[in-house]
Amino acid sequence: MLRHTTNWVTKPANRVDGPDKANGAAKYAGDYRVPGQLVTRALRSPIPHARITRLDTSAALKVPGVLAVITSDDFVDHGRFGFPVADNFILAYQKVRYVGEGVAIVAAVDADAAEAGVNAIELDLEQLPVIEDMEQALRPDAPVIPDVVTEGSKKGQPNVCLTQIVRNGDPEPIIAASPVQLDQTYATPFQEHAYLEPEAVLSIPNPDGSVIIYACDQSPFNNRGIAAAVLGLPEDKVRVIQAIVGGSFGGKDEGVYQMSAQTAKLALLTNRPVGMVFSREESIIVSYKRDASKIRVRLGADKDGKLQAAKVEAWLDGGAYSAETVLTAWRAAMHLAGAYTYQAVTGDVHVLYTNNNYSSAFRGFGNTEAVACIEQAIDEVAEQVALDPIDMRLKNIIGKGDRTMTGATLNQEVGLRACLEWVRQKSDWDRKRREFPAQNKNARYRKGIGVACYFHGMGLGGEGVDFANATIAIERDNSVTLTNGLTDYGTGARTVFTLIAADVLGARPERIKVLLTDTETAINSGPTVASRASVVGGNATRVAAEKIAQLLTFAAANLFKCAPAQVLRDKEAFIGPDEEPVDFDTVVNHARQLGYVLSAHGRWQLPVIHWDFEKGTGTPYVGYTFGAQIVEVTVHTGTGRVQADRIWAAHDIGKVLFPEGAYGQLYGGITQGLGYGLMEEVEINHGYIHNVNFDDYIIPTAMDVPPIEATFVEAPFHLGPYGAKNVAEPSMLGVAPALANAVYHATGKRIRELPLTPERVLLGHALHNDDHGDNSRLWLGYADGLRKVRITQAA
Amino acid sequence: MANKTAVQATINGEDVEFLCEPHQSLLEVLRDVLRLTGTKEGCNNGNCGACNVILDGVLVNSCLVLGVEAQGKRITTIEGIAPPHGLHPLQQKFLEHAALQCGICTPGFIISAKALLDHKPHPSEHEVRHWLAGNLCRCTGYDKIVRAVLDAADVMAVEVSK
Repeated sequence: MLRHTTNWVTKPANRVDGPDKANGAAKYAGDYRVPGQLVTRALRSPIPHARITRLDTSAALKVPGVLAVITSDDFVDHGRFGFPVADNFILAYQKVRYVGEGVAIVAAVDADAAEAGVNAIELDLEQLPVIEDMEQALRPDAPVIPDVVTEGSKKGQPNVCLTQIVRNGDPEPIIAASPVQLDQTYATPFQEHAYLEPEAVLSIPNPDGSVIIYACDQSPFNNRGIAAAVLGLPEDKVRVIQAIVGGSFGGKDEGVYQMSAQTAKLALLTNRPVGMVFSREESIIVSYKRDASKIRVRLGADKDGKLQAAKVEAWLDGGAYSAETVLTAWRAAMHLAGAYTYQAVTGDVHVLYTNNNYSSAFRGFGNTEAVACIEQAIDEVAEQVALDPIDMRLKNIIGKGDRTMTGATLNQEVGLRACLEWVRQKSDWDRKRREFPAQNKNARYRKGIGVACYFHGMGLGGEGVDFANATIAIERDNSVTLTNGLTDYGTGARTVFTLIAADVLGARPERIKVLLTDTETAINSGPTVASRASVVGGNATRVAAEKIAQLLTFAAANLFKCAPAQVLRDKEAFIGPDEEPVDFDTVVNHARQLGYVLSAHGRWQLPVIHWDFEKGTGTPYVGYTFGAQIVEVTVHTGTGRVQADRIWAAHDIGKVLFPEGAYGQLYGGITQGLGYGLMEEVEINHGYIHNVNFDDYIIPTAMDVPPIEATFVEAPFHLGPYGAKNVAEPSMLGVAPALANAVYHATGKRIRELPLTPERVLLGHALHNDDHGDNSRLWLGYADGLRKVRITQAA
Repeated sequence: MANKTAVQATINGEDVEFLCEPHQSLLEVLRDVLRLTGTKEGCNNGNCGACNVILDGVLVNSCLVLGVEAQGKRITTIEGIAPPHGLHPLQQKFLEHAALQCGICTPGFIISAKALLDHKPHPSEHEVRHWLAGNLCRCTGYDKIVRAVLDAADVMAVEVSK
C-alpha cells in the first residue's frame, strides 16, 4: 500500500551516523585496539603466475615475537571458497595466480617482528607463463589458470570460466536486412574502488573456541559463512560485527573475507586478538577491481532510426579468480543492448581468466560496462540516420507494456522519457548541439555536449531470492531499537530504515537507534549488494514496524475506549474520538500494562522471478530504475585534455525516501562515473599493477567535478516502500558514455576505449608505462632483498 | 622499542608528553600512541588528506610529519575543534548538508576547511574547491561538502560580528 502523507520519510532528515563521523568518534575496524592485540604481515607473491614447489614456515616461528604463521594448510579444504565458482583460496594453494596473492601470514607482537617472520619463510616458486590479456587467455596453447573445470573446458578454452547469455529471437537476419547497420567494438578499463578506508579487520578469540570478527565488510553473514567453513566451525562459533565501513562500492567482499578468515585463524591459534590493516598500496595491489571489458556491438536500424535488432558479445577480464564476475557478467548480459525495444536481441558475455589481479563487484556490476558501450553505439547509429541523439533515444526507449531487450514485458511506470526531456530542456541541449560545431572551427578549445541513458534492473533479480529481515523493539525507556540484516557501509541505509520505522510507528527518529549489523543480533538477510537495501531492507523494516504500530493502535483504542479504526495519528500523538491527543509514551506504557509484547520481526521478499540461465530466457528483474545524463565538455585540441564543464542528471528512482541521502548518492555516483570516463584506469603491465597509490591512480577531486544539476523523477514503484526504488549503483552509469559522446561532438573523434585520457583524445591510443613490477615488488616487501623467495623457471 | 624520544606538545589545547620512535609519523603517534583515532590514514603518502591536522596554524598531512617534529608545537585534530558538549559550525553544517557518507574522509575535510576559514573567513566557491583539492572523497562528489563549508563560513562570520 502506498502512503500519501508522511511525517519523516521524504522530508529533510539528519543521517543517524552523522555526529560521530563529524567529530571523529566513529570507530572503523582499523581504529580498534584491544589489550594483547597482535599485528600481521603477509608473504605475497612477487610474480603473476607460478607453482608453489616449497613452502616452509618453520624458521619464521623461531623469530622472537612471532606467535603464529598460517598457510593454506591451516584451513579446511585448503581454504577453498567462492560463489558461484569455488576457485579461490583464503591463502594461495599449490599455485599463485596474481601479483600480491597471499601465501602466508605471520602474527607477531609488533610490526618489526612480523616483518622478520615473513623474511624467514622459505618459498620456492616455479614460474609459469603469464596470461597478460584476454586474447592470450583464449589461445589454444594458453596455460590453464583455474583449478576447476570450467564451462570453456568442454570447448577447448579452459580459461573461459563461463558465458552468460540472452536469447530473444534471432537478430542475425534482421540486422543483415537492415538498411542501417553498426558493428563496433568498445573497451572499458579496470577500475579501482578507491574507498578512502583501506581494508581492516580485527579478530578476537573467546575462551570457548569461538571467535569475534570486527570487519569492514559489506555482508557480514557471507563473511561468517565463509569463515566458519574454512575454519571448520559451526556458524554459531563465528560472530561477525560490521564496524563503521569507510566506503565499499562493491569492493569489500571476497578480499575482506580472506582477511577475516586469516585473522580469525591466527586469533584461535594464538589465543590473542589479531588485527590486520592494509596500507593503500597493499589495498590496491591485493584487492579486486572492476573487470576490464571488450564489447562488440552489432545493431540494425531502419532508415528513420528505429532499432530493429542487436547482437552483442562481451569479454570480461575476470583475472585470476572468478569471484563475482560470474554474476557481473549476468547483469551485463541483461543490459547489453540498453533501454530500448528490439525485435530480436542476443547477448553473450564471456568471463575470462588472466593473471591480471582479479575482478569482482563494483558499483553498477556489469551494467556500468554495458552502458558505457551501448550508449556510444546508439550515438553512432543516430549519426548514420542524421537523428539528434536524444530524438534517437526517444524513438526507441522502452515504456510501460513494452518488451525489454531480454524479451520480458515491462509492467511498471517508466520515467525514462521524462528524464530525457528534463535533461534536454535544462541543458539547453538543442541550441548547444546546433551551435557548438559552428564555434569549434579552428578553435583551440572545442565545446561538445553528449547524452546517455540507461535502465538498471533492481535487486538480485535472477541471481537469487531477494529477501531481508528486520527486528524492532521498544525498550524500557521507550526508545526504539532496530536491526537489519542488510548493512550500511556509508550509503545511508540506516537512516532510511530509521525514517521508515519512524513514519510507520509514529515515533520521532531521535528515539530510534539502528544497531550496526552483528550476526548475533541481526537476522541473516543475504548479501548487502545490488542497491537493494532501501527497497528490500526498507520493506522488512516497514513490516516489523507495522506489527508494533498495530499493537499501539489497539492500546490507544483501549485507552480511549473506542474502536481501533477511530484512532488517528498526528506525528507522535494518538487522537481518539474526543480529539484529546495522547502522547507516544502514554500509549506505549499502556500497551505494556496490557501485556503486549512490543518487539517484532519483519521479513520481506521480492516476488520470485525465473530466469533460465541455460536458455537465456525469462524475467531477469521485478523492475528497473531509469535515468539520463548529459555532460558538456571543453576539449583542448593541443593537449587532448577533456574538462567536464557541467552535468545534468535526471533519475527515476521511484519515491525518494531520504532526499539528502539520495542526492549524495547521486553526486557521488556521477563523480565515480566522471573518473571512469576521464581518468581512472588500473594499469596492469605483465601482470603488475603500476598505479598503486593516489599519486598515480587519480580519482576526481573537488576541482574536477563540475556543477551538477540534478532531479529525481518519482515514477512510483508498486513494490517499494512508499513507492521507492534504488539509487546507489545507477547514479554512475550514464556519465562515461555521455563524456565520450560529448568528446565526439567537440572533436569529431570517436574514442571507443575508456578512459578519455589526453593521449587517447590526442593520439587515439593510450601510452602505457612499461612497468615490470618494480612498484609492486617494492610495496610487497621485496625491495631490500630480505625475502627468502626463490623463483625458478619451469623445467 | 629502543631509542624512543620524549616529545612535549600541545594537542587540542592540552599539554601532553609522549614517547615516540624517531621514524614514527605524527599520524602514527596520534593514532597509536595517543589513541586519537579521529585522524585517519587513507594513503600514507600525502595524497588524500584524511590525516590532515593543524600544526602551529598550518595545515599538514600528519603522515608526512614526524612525531618528533611536534616538539613544542600546537596541534589541532578533529577531536579538538568542537566546544564542550557541542559542535563546531563546520561539523554542524556537514550534518545539515549531509556532506558526509562513509565518513572516513570527513575529519580531514573538516580540519582542512577549518584551516581555510582561519586564514580566509570569506572564501569563494572556487577558493573552497581549490583548497579542498588535497582531500579525496569517494562518496559524496564534493558538492555538499563545498556547500557546507560556504555555509559554515557565513555562520562563523555572523558569530564573529556579534
